[in-house]
Amino acid sequence: MSHTLCRTSRVVAFACPLLLLANSVWDGVYTDEQSKRGAALYAKECAACHGTELSGGEEAPPLSGGAFMSNWSGLTVGELFERVRLSMPEGRPGTLSRQQNADIVAYLLSFNQFPAGKTELAKDTDILKQIRFEAQKK
Amino acid sequence: MKHWKLAVSLAAGLACAAAADKSGEWPSYAADLAGTRYRPLDQINASNFSKLEVAWRFKTDSLGNRPEYKLEGTPLMVNGVIYTTGGSRRAAIALDAGTGELLWVHGEHEGSRGAAAPRQLSGRGLAYWTDGKEERILYVTPGYRLIALDAKTGAVIPTFGDKGAVDLKLNDDQTIQPDLITGEIGLQSAPVVAGNTILIGAAFREGMTPRSMRNNKGYVRGFDVRTGKRLWIFHTIPVKGEPGYDTWLDESADYTGNTGVWSQITVDEQLGLVYLPVESPTGDYYGGHRPGNNLYGESLVCVDLKTGQHKWHFQLVHHPLWDMDISSAPILADIRVNGKEIKAVAQPTKQGFLYVFDRVTGKAVWPIEEKPVEKGSVPGEWYSPTQPFPSRPGIYSRNGISVDDLIDFTPALRDQAQTLIAKYKIGPVYTPPVESKVGGPLATLTLGTASGGTNWPGASYDPETHTVYAYACNACVTPIGLVAAPKDVSDMRYIAGTAGQEVSIRTGPGEGAGADSPLPTRRAAPAGGRGGGGGGGLNIQGLPLIKPPYSTISAINLDRGEIVWQVPHGDTPDVVRNSPLLKGLNIPKTGQSGYNIGTLITKSLVIAGDGQITTTPDHPRGAMLRAYDKATGKEVGGILMPAPQSGSPMTYMHNGKQYIIVAISGGAYSGEYVAYTLPNE
Repeated sequence: MSHTLCRTSRVVAFACPLLLLANSVWDGVYTDEQSKRGAALYAKECAACHGTELSGGEEAPPLSGGAFMSNWSGLTVGELFERVRLSMPEGRPGTLSRQQNADIVAYLLSFNQFPAGKTELAKDTDILKQIRFEAQKK
Repeated sequence: MKHWKLAVSLAAGLACAAAADKSGEWPSYAADLAGTRYRPLDQINASNFSKLEVAWRFKTDSLGNRPEYKLEGTPLMVNGVIYTTGGSRRAAIALDAGTGELLWVHGEHEGSRGAAAPRQLSGRGLAYWTDGKEERILYVTPGYRLIALDAKTGAVIPTFGDKGAVDLKLNDDQTIQPDLITGEIGLQSAPVVAGNTILIGAAFREGMTPRSMRNNKGYVRGFDVRTGKRLWIFHTIPVKGEPGYDTWLDESADYTGNTGVWSQITVDEQLGLVYLPVESPTGDYYGGHRPGNNLYGESLVCVDLKTGQHKWHFQLVHHPLWDMDISSAPILADIRVNGKEIKAVAQPTKQGFLYVFDRVTGKAVWPIEEKPVEKGSVPGEWYSPTQPFPSRPGIYSRNGISVDDLIDFTPALRDQAQTLIAKYKIGPVYTPPVESKVGGPLATLTLGTASGGTNWPGASYDPETHTVYAYACNACVTPIGLVAAPKDVSDMRYIAGTAGQEVSIRTGPGEGAGADSPLPTRRAAPAGGRGGGGGGGLNIQGLPLIKPPYSTISAINLDRGEIVWQVPHGDTPDVVRNSPLLKGLNIPKTGQSGYNIGTLITKSLVIAGDGQITTTPDHPRGAMLRAYDKATGKEVGGILMPAPQSGSPMTYMHNGKQYIIVAISGGAYSGEYVAYTLPNE
């Protein structure tokens, strides 16, 4: 399903729940199952630098906690997804699939205690850019 | 090696228009060879700092085949031209100082050698040299090659080294293992040129989890700026027969590596002396394979500029076990203590001590006392029974953890913090690492170690008031736990790790991240690994474990050895300001945790940017570039930047206007140099 289709067709509105219903990371934008897949990927692809507790390494920034939250608050999940997609894993950027990157982002959201929902995080950047990353629930 | 460049003839014309007054230039990484980061400019001052506007910006995305999010350079400015490095290629570039227009660019494609480099990405900058006629730019590639360029055109100097490059993996009094392509050694700092001598150190992978107790050694060398010929070498790990070899028991000096100088080197050209801040030996946290004090690990070493011969040294940490390195440029300071003039050298550190020595003799200006420290119990480890403690100035950032350092916004939060740390060992500076155990301790919780205090950006120094200005992280907690290394991971007995978790090699940013690293293949990565999720890390309900201030800038007078003022640096983080747990509490400005902030000193101001993004009632999402009154620490101005400061700021005068350049990047924002100046009236 393309984002364009979602935007232009009312017929498929039921198939685009993220776009139409979810506004922020507080609205249950990933599933528990997805974050579990993401956790496995994180352990394999990310933890060596960012730490098993997402607390960062000697130089790698933390992916949890205050600095991480304020760094992304005010942007969108799409921008976080694009950062991961374009530059991570650091030595092999672009080697993970969109689905894998979406799963990892779902795990980051889960670890940072944003609620899970019933719909998986999409792998389309434009759709993800509709989901606001907000540190505080509004 | 392939290289590429773009030269615009504008460069030559600009370079000819040399200004007579050099005080408005910034000719080396730290402004001068004394490591001061000081320029006595005052057009930008307290009355107008907040009016600064963007003069130009230079995005570094295209200086490599992928964007970089870790731009750490401090540019130079000479004769109206900006020189710096940037991008995942670590390209050298020249820009018009007034407009930011690209004048030339030079990059080196190093293939698999660049891909294997331990320190990739754009590095911290480059060096400028002139004899009054010829002008050269010197920089070190990720693959550890020293390149000489014509500053006017960016063309390589064919008579320098081998067609413009010196292979730094050769002629190093060691055979780099396992081979020249993959052999681990590199450098991300800017070279230093003193007189006609280029000074080059060495850097390695992050050292928490070495693959082996054996590694290449980080010797320091001097090279002739005209020819690239090696002039001298200093063995940072003494070879058999040299003084200090006996500080490595069981002949461990023969195989131990690292011990490089990865930070900036400082030079007193008048005295002909070079000051080397030497890092940790192999194994940041486990030294069982290198019993003894391990000279010159974590030592400040003074050598002769012409010969490289050892003059004096002081080991800041015996038998290093905490990754304290010496992480920043020594600072040369001519001071007056109790009526006596002293040519001093001051060394800021991760551990929050400022060590001050007579730079001619190496004698401490104020007594440094050897005091007993705790002995640990990790099997096979060798412990120094004492460590040196400077008596003055007092510590300027936290270097140990006690219960009193824990979060104390409310009694409940303090209680939760105490519950969390029950799984860890805590203690004062030099509390030893522990073997990680599931039932506890998981690790020694430390402050003032790997990422604490003053790190690579270093401090600044005002030669008029004899004052050091040092940013320091006051809350950068590093848990140091050790686990037995599986044989297929490392031949070390112990490496960093956490009990109950898979033992693996940790890598740092930049490793495998440069433009020579493998390009995307778009393959589907196999699924696998461990499940998991949840958890809170080392924070208390999202709040920092350690109480504020999370970072500070300190003004330290070197005539008296006193901290004159100390202020938190940076907006209170959003997570603290917006926490529902803290609603109704009046929390003073906390500063921000982070180790990569450097300061700039002008005639009247201390200037530094925030290291974190915030969104506050006072400003939209962004990071502030701040100015403080040098005399009092009072904040006197600020402007909003779109991303955090990631490289230390510099300043210069050009066509009657003062500029400030700062490197910004991080999060969603790729590397950019931004130049600020005052609006035209």
